Amino acid sequence: MEPDPKAFYVLSNLAEVVERILAFLPTKALLRAACVCRLWRECSRRLLRNRQSFAWISTAESCSSNNHALVQVLEEELEKVQVLPQMVFYIADAETFSGHEEHCRGQKKARRRNSKETAIALEKLLPKRCQVLGLVTPGTVVTPTGSRSGRPLEVEDGEAGFALLFPKMDGVKIQTFHFFKDPKSKVIDENQFAEAGLKNNPDLRVVLLFGYNTWKSGATRFLHQIVNRLNEKSIILAGGHVDSFTSLTSENNSQPSESCGVVGLTFSGPQIQSATVLLDQDVVDEKTAEAAMQRLKAASIPEHNTIGFMFACVGRGYQHYKTKRNLEADAFRKFFPSIPLFGFFGHGEIGCDRIVTGNFILRECNNNIKDDLLHGYTTVMTLIHLG
Amino acid sequence: MSLSERNTVVFAYESSVHSINVLLSLDEQRKQDLFCDVTILVEDQRFRAHRSVLAACSSYFRSRIVGQLELDLIIILPEEVTLKGFDPLLQFAYTSKLILDKDNVAEVCKCAEFLGIHDIEESCFQFLKFKFLDHKLGWREYQRKKCCKSRCQKEEHKVDVAADSCLEIDDVNEILQNECIHPHLKNYKSEKNSDVSLLQDNTSQTFESESERDQGLDFASLCPKYRKFQKAVGSDKAPTLESSSNIKEVQVTSAASVHRIESYTNGATEKSFEYAAVPPDTKCEDAQVEMEEDGKEEFLKQTTSVFQSTECSVEKSVTFSPHNSSVATHGLYSTAFLNTCDQYCHLTLSGMQSNTEVTEKVTEKCSIVTEPGNCKPVSGSPDESLPLKSDLCERENVNDTSPSNRSSVEREVAEHLAKGFWSDIYNTDTTCQVSLSSASDQVYSEKKAECPWLGIRISDSPEHCSQRTFTTLSSVNCPFINNLSTGNSTEISSGDCIQEQQQEQCPYSCVISLEEDSETDTEGDSESCSAREQECEVKLPFDAEKIISLSRNDFQSCLKMHKLTAEQLDCIHDIRRRSKNRIAAQRCRKRKLDCIQNLESEIEKLQSEKESLLKEKDHILSTLSETKQNLTGLCQQMCKEAALSHEQIQILAKYSTSDCPLSFLIPEKEQPAPSDVMSAVPLCIELSKDCVESPGVQSSSYQHVKSSCDTGYTQAQELCPVPVRILEKTLCLEQCVQSSGGITDFCQQMTDKCTTE
Repeated sequence: MEPDPKAFYVLSNLAEVVERILAFLPTKALLRAACVCRLWRECSRRLLRNRQSFAWISTAESCSSNNHALVQVLEEELEKVQVLPQMVFYIADAETFSGHEEHCRGQKKARRRNSKETAIALEKLLPKRCQVLGLVTPGTVVTPTGSRSGRPLEVEDGEAGFALLFPKMDGVKIQTFHFFKDPKSKVIDENQFAEAGLKNNPDLRVVLLFGYNTWKSGATRFLHQIVNRLNEKSIILAGGHVDSFTSLTSENNSQPSESCGVVGLTFSGPQIQSATVLLDQDVVDEKTAEAAMQRLKAASIPEHNTIGFMFACVGRGYQHYKTKRNLEADAFRKFFPSIPLFGFFGHGEIGCDRIVTGNFILRECNNNIKDDLLHGYTTVMTLIHLG
Repeated sequence: MSLSERNTVVFAYESSVHSINVLLSLDEQRKQDLFCDVTILVEDQRFRAHRSVLAACSSYFRSRIVGQLELDLIIILPEEVTLKGFDPLLQFAYTSKLILDKDNVAEVCKCAEFLGIHDIEESCFQFLKFKFLDHKLGWREYQRKKCCKSRCQKEEHKVDVAADSCLEIDDVNEILQNECIHPHLKNYKSEKNSDVSLLQDNTSQTFESESERDQGLDFASLCPKYRKFQKAVGSDKAPTLESSSNIKEVQVTSAASVHRIESYTNGATEKSFEYAAVPPDTKCEDAQVEMEEDGKEEFLKQTTSVFQSTECSVEKSVTFSPHNSSVATHGLYSTAFLNTCDQYCHLTLSGMQSNTEVTEKVTEKCSIVTEPGNCKPVSGSPDESLPLKSDLCERENVNDTSPSNRSSVEREVAEHLAKGFWSDIYNTDTTCQVSLSSASDQVYSEKKAECPWLGIRISDSPEHCSQRTFTTLSSVNCPFINNLSTGNSTEISSGDCIQEQQQEQCPYSCVISLEEDSETDTEGDSESCSAREQECEVKLPFDAEKIISLSRNDFQSCLKMHKLTAEQLDCIHDIRRRSKNRIAAQRCRKRKLDCIQNLESEIEKLQSEKESLLKEKDHILSTLSETKQNLTGLCQQMCKEAALSHEQIQILAKYSTSDCPLSFLIPEKEQPAPSDVMSAVPLCIELSKDCVESPGVQSSSYQHVKSSCDTGYTQAQELCPVPVRILEKTLCLEQCVQSSGGITDFCQQMTDKCTTE
């Protein structure tokens, strides 16, 4: 078939037209199109640079295939996403993620290997230079793929998971970090702090912390060591305790060790605005939960390009709210109609009531006591506006 | 680039700390009252500040200050600005930090707005307001009061409407009561008198009279509720005495009817109240005002007698057996009530063995026949005295005694009912309601259905609210609320009137507070859920332990193996979930304990460390004093033996600390030896020379010194690990003694010092 000479001319010469057309393509297709010619490559590069907002892929249903549902969905949806992920943060539910096959029979070793395999399968789907932080938790909170205003679901039991895809964003730096309790050295290496952007980083705004194996003895002390150090700064601290972490690309050499530790994400950038509230044990019904959301709303964080995180205790959820399901997530949706909400049910939470924006910081100040950030039976709700 | 161009390049130096430091020093100045040129008066308190700072921070101050040329300007702030609000703002102006707490946030916000302070964002106030508000709401009482008020207002409003339609009697309760009671009273006035005696004499007869009275009531009010009640009784009674005999027959079949009657009587009285609610709307106009007083009195008599009879029967009611339930469906609730009680109290009642069966029967009947009308009077009756009580002071004592006289059994029943067994009754009741509403298309059906709730609720609350938890109460309440909200017709609103009236009068605030909260709990509490689950669990093919203990895979395969209904699956998942929650909670607790333990051990460690340090300190101090003494002795000895000159001593003292005994020697030696022989320094120099020349061989002079020192320094040698400061204090001599290497070092030091001089 002879190519139409006019079309050929337009598509190989007019950058504006090509760019307009390519703008409709999802990232993966765009990258393929970039291989066609120099013009197309330039156009797609420009387009990719402009795709600055994060995307996510989530699932709340189990799938029939051998893999975890998240892997399955990721495989399908990655073809459609509009961003080129540079940093991926995923959370899946621990049970299905680690022990999927029936023949595993719950043997610890087999399960572990299996979860590792699942993680590797997931990581393989992502671009090579993409950083990955993956956690498995007892339960997850997911917003359906694609729709910002979709109803977030608290999946306390069953196969579910989500992956947040962060592209390279101007003025926002997202890094991972990992500290674990080393029985040999009692002090945490300062260099590690600096590397993770937790030190000498004036733009640091938000740190999401996830402790694992925190039920081990001495873990609390270790956590306090880190959290209190970070708490001295005027940043948002949020997170919780998860079952374990499954992927962390930055340091593949250190396997999830048997001792306790923390992994996490740091968000630094001058335009990041963030607020967090703690729903403590007094919050037991719709009214009080909504009051907390109202508080979060009052922080007036812009709603576009904002992610909501919810870190709840396994002891909460529908049992806590007199069998009302999804209450906290619904309360969130009520006040933030267009912010996707993600999170998990874990074994303890890290958080407080705090607002950090470029202009001001609002935090509790107890001069005598260091405010404790480690909680149990609570929910931490956090908004992160990425500018 | 040419040379001239290169010279014009401009560099900018920017300090990131300058602005902060300027502000800090300004704050410093403010605190020291340096360069302050304005005084602000807030609520008679003076604040000194800088005009420029205030003007830069606040648009209000800017406008006030601009153009003012006096040397010491005094600004008196208007009333809007309070001390509480202004002080933090002034601090903010100088420190860029605003300290907000629960007490001042509102005022600071107001003042900030008024003063037009820059750089304070509204959102932080909003955030805090919600936070503190939230905490307030957490206080149940606050909530209670609030809803209480609103309720009361509503009630009053409604009642007022009723009152308007009726005549101009101020006391709303009275109106309601009088009017409603009226028609009935007329009817059973005569019967009642006989009732009392009958009750005391013969229970069955009483019952008859009671039923008669009931029928009288029926005639009077023609309330559909009552009609339903009749239906529930199971006999299609004509409004005559025959029907009462019917009931009697039924009643006779039951062995013990005392309690039954009692409840029945109460029910009747209560019902009269109940009906009282209806007439204001429906029959208000017809009410005969002139009869009111008489009727009331009559009624009161009646009620008192009833209560007396109740009292009497209370004792008997202990022996009351649940056979009653077989009598008629209208006893459902009383029997269920009692049965549950029995089960819980393990009382030695006659017919105890058959209790469970009876209960089952009862519940069955309940679901089939649907007679909620009676349950209300039964459970509610003794406590209906409460409205009575508040309405009619004269009868207070009697009324009061009646609930209190209720046997402990009953009390416990009620308690158990409210606490644990509510779920059961709840279930049966719901079925009742459903079938009722389906059975009858009258509006009253719903109203009827709501009555039992009312009754039960009231019966529970005044007696036990003090012992019960809030949540249980609210759970008790919820269905009632549901019905309330559904019924909006006039009849029902009249019913509301009464109910609310009762609440209003009820001295137990929690009853009132329940209403608001229950809205959120309408789905029932966890207890009812657990009860349901337990039920469900019974039907499961495997037990709960298995569900919990299985691993995920095993669990799933297990589920697959057994064909389970969705309900069962739900239940199983629930159980598993809960167990997991439990485990998580355990972990949580463990973590907390862990933390505590860690801290405790740390404290212990630190304390022991502190103790040891203190000991060490004591030891060091004592050795120090000893050493000092020795040193002084040595110094004196040395000075004597070496025959140091005054200058030499002075020089020596110069390099020793003030603590050194050498310095003390100076004044003593000053007079007798102003120009003595060798100086210490040359000695040292000599020493050092010797050491340098022949490090292995100690100089004779040193040996001389050392021999004299040795005795005193055996102790000093022990002090080797003593901290540096002590070493400094004990100075050179000690160092000399410590080691030959030390000697050389010391001498070197001394020579250095000398040469520099």
